[in-house]
Amino acid sequence: MSALTGTGTLVRLVVRRDRLILPLWGLLAAVYPSAIARSTADLYPTAEALRGVAGTAMANPSQQAMRGPVFEASVGGLTAHTVGMSGAILLGLVSMLLVIRHSRVEEESGRRELVGAGVVGRHAPLTAVLAVVFTANLMIAVLMAGTLIGAGLPASGSFALALSLAATGWTFAAVGAVAAQLTESAAVARGIGLGVFIVCFLIRAVGDSSGSAWLSWVSPLGWTLRARAFAGERWWILALLVALAVVLAGAAYRLSARRDLAAGVLPARLGPATATPALDSAPALAWRLHRGQLAAWTAGFAAGGLALGGAVSGGIEAQLNAPQIMEMIARVGGENAEPADFFVNYLLSMLAWIIAAYGILSALRLRTEETAGRADLVLVTPTSRVRWALSHLFMAVVAPATALAALGAGTGLAYSASSGDPGKFPVVLGAALAYLPAVWVMTGIAVLLAGLLPRLSVAAWGIWVVFILLDVFGMLGQVDASVLNLIPFVHVPWVVLGQTAVAPLLLLTAIAAVLGVAGLAGLRRRDIA
Amino acid sequence: MTYAISVSGLVKSFGQTRALDGLELNVHEGEVHGFLGPNGAGKSTSIRILLGLMRADAGQAQLLGGDPWADATELHRRLAYVPGDVTLWPNLSGGEVIDLLGRLRGGVDERRKTGLIDRFELDPRKKGRAYSKGNRQKVALVAALASDVELLILDEPTSGLDPLMEAVFRDCVAEEKARGRTVLLSSHILSEVEALCDRVSIIRAGRVVESGTLPELRHLTRTSVVAEVASSPYDLADLPGVHDLHISGTRVSCQVEPRHLDELFGRLTTLGLRGVTAAPPTLEDLFMRHYKTASNSSHERPAENAR
Repeated sequence: MSALTGTGTLVRLVVRRDRLILPLWGLLAAVYPSAIARSTADLYPTAEALRGVAGTAMANPSQQAMRGPVFEASVGGLTAHTVGMSGAILLGLVSMLLVIRHSRVEEESGRRELVGAGVVGRHAPLTAVLAVVFTANLMIAVLMAGTLIGAGLPASGSFALALSLAATGWTFAAVGAVAAQLTESAAVARGIGLGVFIVCFLIRAVGDSSGSAWLSWVSPLGWTLRARAFAGERWWILALLVALAVVLAGAAYRLSARRDLAAGVLPARLGPATATPALDSAPALAWRLHRGQLAAWTAGFAAGGLALGGAVSGGIEAQLNAPQIMEMIARVGGENAEPADFFVNYLLSMLAWIIAAYGILSALRLRTEETAGRADLVLVTPTSRVRWALSHLFMAVVAPATALAALGAGTGLAYSASSGDPGKFPVVLGAALAYLPAVWVMTGIAVLLAGLLPRLSVAAWGIWVVFILLDVFGMLGQVDASVLNLIPFVHVPWVVLGQTAVAPLLLLTAIAAVLGVAGLAGLRRRDIA
Repeated sequence: MTYAISVSGLVKSFGQTRALDGLELNVHEGEVHGFLGPNGAGKSTSIRILLGLMRADAGQAQLLGGDPWADATELHRRLAYVPGDVTLWPNLSGGEVIDLLGRLRGGVDERRKTGLIDRFELDPRKKGRAYSKGNRQKVALVAALASDVELLILDEPTSGLDPLMEAVFRDCVAEEKARGRTVLLSSHILSEVEALCDRVSIIRAGRVVESGTLPELRHLTRTSVVAEVASSPYDLADLPGVHDLHISGTRVSCQVEPRHLDELFGRLTTLGLRGVTAAPPTLEDLFMRHYKTASNSSHERPAENAR
């Protein structure tokens, strides 16, 4: 029996299991670049307009970081600029996750054992999924090039863009294949693959935004862009990406041949045999359970704030002069509102909704701990219910505050730098923190449900979605004021625009407290599932 | 005699379902008490009420002299619990969980803890997500057995343990008993119950249907008799207390109530006994009798009449 026996059957298994995802992903990835190309051609009909938007993009470091350089001020050049990184994410990340899904996940779940006991060669499973993913990327590239040509772009550039993205897909599929050999846990394998992708992205982002082109050449994602589609194609870049993919895939096969089924090359990480002295109470446990998320959310919002505050530069007025937008600015911010200030506060108000989700998530931890049965372990010790609940609620109160502060600080720093006005920093920080009482109300709703109506806890998410929709449509003037007033976020002053109403913030805090106390009272009286 | 657990008339309903229907349960101090019953009989519900996780709709429950609901926090200092299906925090190691639970209860006896980890052959460095079911169970068992408490409440604690570990568990419970601790042991493993328990309560459909020491319970149950007689037996069916009578040729097999053994053997002797085996009911017989008749509860005697 050769090492590849059974590959054909396993290819059919992969295709059968993903018969919906594969075509959907492929179609979306293949077609959206042509949609971008068409809308670029519509939006910027003249060479002058194209030069203008290309110039803005090149002058803006945060755009450079996200999308890389514009190599040519043409419809094709701008399409490649817009699609390059998002396409790399769509093809590269999905390819990587697909490979892990059909290799390490299968091993971890024990299904591979079922297959491996049949007439299947040692390398057949990995070969099958790589074959499927490589072929899918190639088909996407052909379809993508065809639709780009259909949108009126030059053929050679279209193929260069499509094939550079497909080659990126191959490369990260191979990264996934290596990651899948390393650990026993599929989640860790995904983490490693994702980490590699993020590091590649960051290296390229720093290189492109700081003008250190050599750094961008270190990252495969830098190569993707430097195929220079529609700007004097460099076909040999494709060979570079393919070579990397082949080397990585070869490494994956070598690793796979050296390890046992279901084992990883890296041993499973062990924890400490004893707890640190600090892990001695329910609050200490809650801190331990929440701290990872807290760090990730705080860092994410600080970074997001920096990018957002930097992106809003003085030139924003030119882009915001659509009548609907000016009307919205006047309605929410008053006649004299600065569009840039408005834009910053608007983004804060939207991101605050995401932080509200974080608050809800942290509060509903009470319910997940309960349904998983882990709450029992703590509640049958001398820890009272209220103490246990408060240990999680303390984190649910503090964590969104930290995330809002990080968001406000990041945005404020970048905005005061880009606007040259240091006075913006405290104002933006204050504007972000002004959302805290409203976020707490959402947390309070989650606590109330978890305490009083535990089976309906998920309704907190429904309320969250409805409130967001009402808020968004309310800003467009399409929701009645009496309904709008139900939404906590509507009562938050837009501090960047000079609003300073304190009374609603106190009222919102009081409401949040009442909701929380009612939830705790419910929890004290009811059965623990 | 003082009771560690004393429950009477306990009622608990979930919507239309009556999970507990007047439960009576008495556990003496210092005894190992077996708590048996089919799935869904109400064992776990009873235990959750005793732990103060649920509140009874009616009836009284006393635990270590206190009210399990109102005095939960205080009582929990004096008891430890092992659930039947242990879930752990995925990113905490087993050793961390054992230490944490011990400290929540007021302190860990390091020597006892290490001894138990060794005996159960548990690797305390593995993360919660990496443990198999049996190993998660061991983590909870070590945490409970290492704690210095008066009462252990164990809800099917050996599910998922291999036979070797089950033997270790039995030794541990025997030691706990020798130390004077009270154990409430809910279990399906009859050999375990037979080996460990001083007294047993059998629960079905939310009521205790039998309660007592094993000899007492045996006394309530029929002995199975197989006899070989000289002449063809024909008039046995009219004897009182004889059930499941089967006659093939000169071979008789039947079940007989203990107080009617005399009549049966008297009659068999007149027929000319050639060979006989009489087996006392096993716990399994006892158990099956209650499990099987789950549908016709009206024929069962309540626990109090059983004495």
